Order: sequence, then C-alpha cells, then structure tokens
Amino acid sequence: MSATRSNAGNAGEGETPPGASAIDAVYRFLSSVRFAIFVLSCIAVSCIIGTLIPQQAPVQEYLSRYSPSTYAILRFLGLTEVFHSPWFLFLAGLFVVNLFFCSLARLGRFLRGQREHRLPTEKALEAMPHFRLKGKGIEEARALFRGYRQAGNDERGMVLHKGSISRSGVYVIHGSIIIILIGSLLGLMFGYRGTVTLAKGETKDAIMKQGTSGSPMALGFSLRLTDFQLSFYPNGEPKDYVSSIEIVDKGEVVRKADVRVNHPLGYGGVSIYQATYGSDPAFLFDIGGEKVRLLQGSAYRKGDLTIMAVRFERSIHNFGPGVLIAYLEGNETKTSWFVKDVPRLREKDLMGVPVRLDGIESEYYTGLEVSHDPGVGVVWTGFAMILFGLYINFFMYERRIYLLTTPGGVLVAGSAPRNREAFREEFEKRREKAHGTEQ
Amino acid sequence: MALNSKILGIVTLLYLCLFLIHLLYFATKKERFLRVMWVFLYFTFGLHSVGLIFRWVESYSPWTWISWLSLPLPNGPGHAPLSNFYESLIFYSWCIALVVIIMRKKLKVPLITAFASLAALFFMGYASLSPSVDRQIQPLIPALQSNWLHVHVFTCFIAYAAFAISFLCGLFYMFSMRGMPPKETLEELNYQSVMVGFPMLTAGILTGAVWAHYAWGAYWSWDPKETWSLITWIVYALFLHARFARGWKGRKIAMLSIIGFGSVIFTYIGVNFILSGLHSYGSPR
Repeated sequence: MSATRSNAGNAGEGETPPGASAIDAVYRFLSSVRFAIFVLSCIAVSCIIGTLIPQQAPVQEYLSRYSPSTYAILRFLGLTEVFHSPWFLFLAGLFVVNLFFCSLARLGRFLRGQREHRLPTEKALEAMPHFRLKGKGIEEARALFRGYRQAGNDERGMVLHKGSISRSGVYVIHGSIIIILIGSLLGLMFGYRGTVTLAKGETKDAIMKQGTSGSPMALGFSLRLTDFQLSFYPNGEPKDYVSSIEIVDKGEVVRKADVRVNHPLGYGGVSIYQATYGSDPAFLFDIGGEKVRLLQGSAYRKGDLTIMAVRFERSIHNFGPGVLIAYLEGNETKTSWFVKDVPRLREKDLMGVPVRLDGIESEYYTGLEVSHDPGVGVVWTGFAMILFGLYINFFMYERRIYLLTTPGGVLVAGSAPRNREAFREEFEKRREKAHGTEQ
Repeated sequence: MALNSKILGIVTLLYLCLFLIHLLYFATKKERFLRVMWVFLYFTFGLHSVGLIFRWVESYSPWTWISWLSLPLPNGPGHAPLSNFYESLIFYSWCIALVVIIMRKKLKVPLITAFASLAALFFMGYASLSPSVDRQIQPLIPALQSNWLHVHVFTCFIAYAAFAISFLCGLFYMFSMRGMPPKETLEELNYQSVMVGFPMLTAGILTGAVWAHYAWGAYWSWDPKETWSLITWIVYALFLHARFARGWKGRKIAMLSIIGFGSVIFTYIGVNFILSGLHSYGSPR
C-alpha cells in the first residue's frame, strides 16, 4: 500500500538530463519532489522559529528578553512577525508553485495510466495471485467479481477494476491545499478584523481595526448592547457570557440576537463574536436628593454644580474604595475624594449641594470581535475536498482483475499495487467461492 | 473517591498486567500467552471505556430525583471527559488501545503491542499519580462548550496514538537486535500507522480550524498549538513523500517517524508547558 503512486523508479527526477533547455531544467526542478521536501522543511523550520520567538509582541517584551541589538536584528530579519513577513509568504508561494507543477507533471502519466487496460501476458499473470477455472467461459468468471467494473476487453479476455478513484486522491488532496491557500489569500487581501467594546446601552458604528496602527473603521451599521449577562460556576470559572445585541441599520433595528462564545452573529457579510468582557466601576450618587449613576469620565450637572467622576481607587489608604470627583467652582476646577466606607468622607457639600456616595457597582462591558473574511467559503470547500481526497487515498485502494481465455479454461489473476495483503485475502475468498460452485 | 477514578485505577493496573503478559510471552515464547493478551486487551479497553463513560455521567452531578418520572435527571453542567490535561491523558491511553485494536490484523508484532501497553500504562500512571495534574471534574468554560470538542479531540488523539505506534516501529528499527521482529515488518508497520495517523491528524487540524472560526472568529491564528500541529503535519507529509515519491527506506524513514513523534509530544504537552496561547485548557494546572 502506498500513499502515492510509487515513483521510486525515477529517483533521478529533478536532475537535468544532458541536452535539455534551461526552461526545461527549471520546470523539472520546480516540479520535483526533492524541491517539495526542501520547501516544506523550510516552512517547518520557519514555524518553529515563529513559536520560539514571541510574535507581534510589544517592544518592551522583546527588550526584556533580548538585547537591543539582537532585537534590531530579529526585527530586520522579520523574525518578530514570521507569519506575516514577506519571505514567509514567498515560501508559501514557492510551495503553491511546486504543488501545482508537481501535480501537473504527474497528471499526464496518471491519465495515461487510467486508460491503460491492456491484458498482460499469461506469464505475467501467473506471477500474480491467480487460479484457473477449468472448462468455464469468460462470462462465468466475470460473474464471480460482482462490484467490479469492466475496464477493457479484447479477443483474449477482459480487465476488471474497482477502487480506481483512489488513484486520483493525491491530485484531489494537492488541489484542495491550493484552494485552501487561495481562500486564505482572499481573506488576507479583502478581509478585516477588529474589536469593539460596548457598555450596556452603548451604541457604536465603528470597530478598532486589528494590527499595529489600530485605526477605527466604520462598519456601515451600528451595534447596540442592550444587555450583558455573565454567569459563573461555583468554582469561580466563567460559565457563560452573553451579549444581547441590536443591529441598527439606517436608523432602524434590523436584527436582535444574543452573541455567545461559540455562537457568533452574522450580518451584512461580517461575523460578530463574543471575545472578552471586562468591568468598569459605576458610582451611585445622591446629588441633592436625586439618584445618579456616574461612570468614570462621565459628568452630571445639577443647577450650578457640574461634577465628574475622574478616578477610581480600589483602596484609599486602607479605607476602602473611593472615587475622585472633579467639579467647577467658578472657573476653577476643584477635586474631592469620596470614600464609600468612611461616613465622614461619604457625604459632602459641594457648592451648597449635598452629595452622597451610596455605592460602587461593577459596570460590565463586552468585548466583541468583528471580522469579514470573503475567503471562508473557499477554505471550507478546500477542507471538504481534502477530507474526501484523504479518504479515497488512504482508505480505498485500486484492484484489477484479469480474465484470460486459455485453452484449458479461464485464467483469473489479480493485482492491487497498494494493498497486496488485503487484496490477497479478498482474492482468496473469491477463489474458494469459484471452486465451491464447481463441485 | 468517585467511581470513575476507581475504575480508571483498575484500568491502570490492567495495562500493567497486559505488559506483564507480554513479558511472559517473551520468556516462554508460547503462543497461548498472545491469545490471552488479546482477550485481556479487549477487556481492558472495555473497562477503560466504562471508566470514561462514568466520568462523563458523573460530570452531570448532582443528579436530581424527579419523582413523577421516577428517574434521576442531570442537574449539573456535564461534558465529555475531554476538557483538561488529566482527561486528555486518560483519553490518549484509550486511543492507543483503540488503535492497537483497529490495527490488530497488521499488529502481529508482540514487541510493538508490548510497548503500546507500556505507553498506555505510562500515560494512565502519569495522569493518576503526578502531583501537577488536577484530577477534579471541572465545569466547561465557554470556549469549550461546543460539539466540535468531541470530533476535534477524537481525531487528534487517534492520530497521536497511531503516531506512537509509528514511533515505536522507528525506534526499534534504529536499535534492532537479534531476536527482534524483522526490519521489513517494522518498516511496513511504520507506514501503516502513519497512513492511519496522517488523515486523522489532517481531520483534527481542519475540525480545529472550523471550531476556531466559530469560537475565536478566525480559522487560523498562528497560535503555538496550531503552529506546532502544522509542523507535525509537515513532518508526516515529508515522511509520506520521502517514502512513496522518493523511495526513502530504512534508517532515514525510521528517523523521520522518531522526529515526527517528538513533534507530536511537543504539540500535545510541550506547547502547554513552554509556550502560552489560546489552547491553555490542556495545561497541567
């Protein structure tokens, strides 16, 4: 059994025979298995480097590991972002070229082999597993091999075959690898990825694009977070996080859905994924008898008083959590700390208005990932094809049966180049059946 | 102690017995011991499966008694035992036994089955004895709550198990001595196991990619685990092409299967210990 047709005989491929033109030599080199082994090895080594050196990490991380000069060299060689470096793309390109020419060079031979259905000589057949059906005709022998298709016949006899599709497995596999790479290239060229964080009730119409620049990008519609639910197991591990999203397109709510991990939402060519979550403090104030919920950085105005929550501290000199409030007195900005657990620091008069910090809550926000990848369908097609190719290549095998009319009856012989042992067993069963019917 | 732990403890001892039966065979060369060994292997595999099923069932605890149905119904957050390092180790042992059973017709090489049972014993023992392995049933974190978990882990670990057989063949080929199975048998078995492992690894990587697309929004993100699975895939692709298209034989091929398994172990365990990434569920802690 062999995964590909055994080409061990032409071990000299890739070497130029004398008298061939330069173009021919290049073609032979590009289509050689030797070159394939070389390119694949290079890709494997690059991958190893790409996991040993941190990829696309912040500069500080590199400088904590390497000296500045080493870092400069790594950066110059593209080793800090191997998988996005031009030379890695070049290697992938070489791989595709090789895969293409390699398959092309063998396709001709393969197609010729598919049409090759000549009956070997009696002597050649006797070297294969064989038996003789004395005094029987070709048709009676044919009946023994149900499930086999007739490949060819002449006055001397008949050729039957089964599982020939397995020989095309290699081409299906190689073709689908090219398709997958084309699909991923489509994604690289025309796709984008970004993140957006939304607090409850917040609406945003742009995402922060991924990459070093991190520029905002308009989506063409808005996302509104109507609710965010977080649940935990008793051991404190997260159990589920659900963002209830509304999609607002041209001022109208066109879609309402819950986005959860493993359950993205698709809209207008983009997919929206639950990626992370976090929490910001929210401060519950009583301002002159009015209940107000202030987020960090948000302001509130009551009469002459404008106040803003500037800074949150988890613990102020061991007195517990507190928030720094800024307010305007005339044209002057003044600040004052409110500490939740200290009564004297919890209630203050600011410009004659009694202000009291009633509590501090966690305001959860959700981190969504938004991506657009026009190549996904192509990649999925490649995946399905490669699985089919692997199945026919590794779990099916080609069998041929030769029926030769001889003076004494029919000589039945068979061969399976790739799975001799299993074939011998099958052939033996058919032989027993044939001789069983004889008696 | 939970019932599944007791069963899996017994299974660990059974793998030890399995190895001892092989030693008896090597000492006496009586075919009878081999027949006993195969029956014993089926039994061990069966009990191992029962242990895994019990762990699966117990993960749903507490069960609540529904009186009007007269049935207990699961009340806890249950999941297949494929979610942490401990569970992956006992599942890996199970897969090694399964691959030996699947390849039984070709695996008429007692030396390989002996060391396959030793490997199963090693992973079971490491899982149940190592102080750095958490053996509790933990609830499933959101990223793992997907049906892709089953097919992804199953295909990957069947591949890893087949590559373990290939590794043993390569290893014994390199250090073959008198009284060992003929080199041709080892070489042939080496190809056969890679031919099981390679399609399964491919399926494992692809199902992982589809799952990553739904869970993380990208089918490939060059996460260390992904990258190392690709490296492993390339090594075995090289193995197949070197063998079948270039006609490599002997020590070179044996060496490739040893390198390949090194890459498998690094993908499975090394990545979690040394590199950090998205696949940290399999970490010892």
